[in-house]
Amino acid sequence: MVYYLIVCRSLTYAQRTASVLERVGIGAHILRSPKIIAGEGCGYSVKVAERNLAGALLVLARVGLSPKRVFIAESDGSYKEVEL
Amino acid sequence: MIYLDNAATTLQKPPEVAWAMAAAVRTMTTPGRGTYPASAHAADTAYQCRTLAARLFQVSAPERVIFTFNATHGLNIAIKTLVRPGDRVVISGYEHNAVTRPLAALGADVLAVQTPLFRPELLLRQFREAVTADTAAVICTHVSNVFGHILPVKEIAALCRERGVPFVLDASQSAGILPVSLEGLGAAFIAMPGHKGLYGPQGSGLLLCGADHPDTILEGGTGSASALPGMPEDLPDRLEAGTHAMPAIAGLLEGLRFVARTGPARILEHEAGLTAQAAELLRHLPGTTVYAAPHGMGQAGVLSFQCQDMDCETTGERLGRMGIAVRAGLHCAPLAHRTAGTFREGTVRISFSAFSREEELHHLVRSLERLRRRM
Repeated sequence: MVYYLIVCRSLTYAQRTASVLERVGIGAHILRSPKIIAGEGCGYSVKVAERNLAGALLVLARVGLSPKRVFIAESDGSYKEVEL
Repeated sequence: MIYLDNAATTLQKPPEVAWAMAAAVRTMTTPGRGTYPASAHAADTAYQCRTLAARLFQVSAPERVIFTFNATHGLNIAIKTLVRPGDRVVISGYEHNAVTRPLAALGADVLAVQTPLFRPELLLRQFREAVTADTAAVICTHVSNVFGHILPVKEIAALCRERGVPFVLDASQSAGILPVSLEGLGAAFIAMPGHKGLYGPQGSGLLLCGADHPDTILEGGTGSASALPGMPEDLPDRLEAGTHAMPAIAGLLEGLRFVARTGPARILEHEAGLTAQAAELLRHLPGTTVYAAPHGMGQAGVLSFQCQDMDCETTGERLGRMGIAVRAGLHCAPLAHRTAGTFREGTVRISFSAFSREEELHHLVRSLERLRRRM
C-alpha cells in the first residue's frame, strides 16, 4: 500500500503533528524514519495514507507545523522525496 | 509530623504521583529510543506532561517545555545562554543562590535592586532606573522563598520588553499558585521546580523557553539527529541530553493534573489564608518578630519570623524534635536576608501547601509557647 511519511524535526514535533492530524480525523502514526531517509540519523516520521496527504499538509500549514520533508513509500519498498 | 517546609519541597503529594512513578519504573524506558511499547509509553507520558504544562503556563508549543532536574538546572541554562563574563545583569534583591551563584561563576556585573520588604511600587521604580538597553538580562523571582512576598513581575517584564532586554523569571515559589504565562510576560525563560507547588517528585523541573537558540550546558544522546557531531538545533532535544527521568516526569504529570484540577487560585487562597492567620497568631507571642505583609496583601504561602533570645537554628532544631518541620537560617538566599536586614540573625520560615491545615498552625504556636517557657 502506498503511503506518505512526513519527516519531523524531533519526536516531540512528530507527536504534535500526529496529534493535530488526529484531531481533524486524519489517521496519523508515528514511526522511526527509515535509515535511508533519516539524513542526520535517528529521526521520526508521521505516516499518513495517500488520500490524506493534501488535507494533512493544509492543516499542518495552518498551525505552523510545516514538515521538513515528505517521502512517498512506493509499493516496492523504496522511498521517493515529494517536492512541496 | 507537622510539615511546614513546603517552600523547599512539598512532602504531601496527591497519591497518584507515587502510583504513576511506580508504574513508570515497571513500564517505561525513555522517549525517542524506539517505537516498542515501553519507549512509546514513555514518549506519550512525556508529551502529555509537556502539553499540560504548555496549557497551564501559556507556552505556544509543547516543544518549548523542557524537562530539567530542578529549577536550578533551568536557571543555569537561562543564565548561561544570556550572560557573558562582564555583562551587566539586573536582579531583584530577593534572589536565591540558584541565580546569584551562576552569575558569580560567570563573572557577571550584577546590579541587585534592593528595596524593603512588601514595597512593590518602590522595587518597580528602582528597576526602571536600573534597566537600560545595555543590560544583558533581568532575572527576577516571582515570590521570595524567604518572605513570601510577591514581586511585580508583570510590570518588570513589560519594562524589559519596552527596553529590549531579555527577562528571566524564577517561578520556584509561584508555579502552581500564581498565574505564570510565558507568552503573557514575553519572557526569554521561565524556570520552575516540579517538587514544590507542582506536587511532582524531587528530580523534576521545567524550563519554559521563549528564546529560540538556547545554549546547552549538557551534551549527549537525544535519540534524534544522531549523525550530527553537535546537539540538534530543535527544542526540546537540544536541551535534553541523556536518558529522561521518566518516573519523575510521570509523577510530575500527576502533580500538574492535581494543580489543574484544584485550580492555582484556590490553592493560593488556602495558603495565603494560612499565612495571614499564622502571622496573626505569631504576633501575639511575646518577643516574636513576624515578617508579614500589611493586611496580608501581596504575600503567598511563606512566612518568616524570629524569636527573641533564641537563635533561629536552635528554634528550628527544637521544633523538629517536637515533630514540626520548619526551615531556619538563610534559606540559600543570603541576598534576600541582606536586603531585608535579617542576614546576621537569619529567620525561621514556615511555608504551606494545599495539604496544610489550620490546626497545624495552632500546634506550632503552642509548641513555640512551650519552648519560651522552658527558656
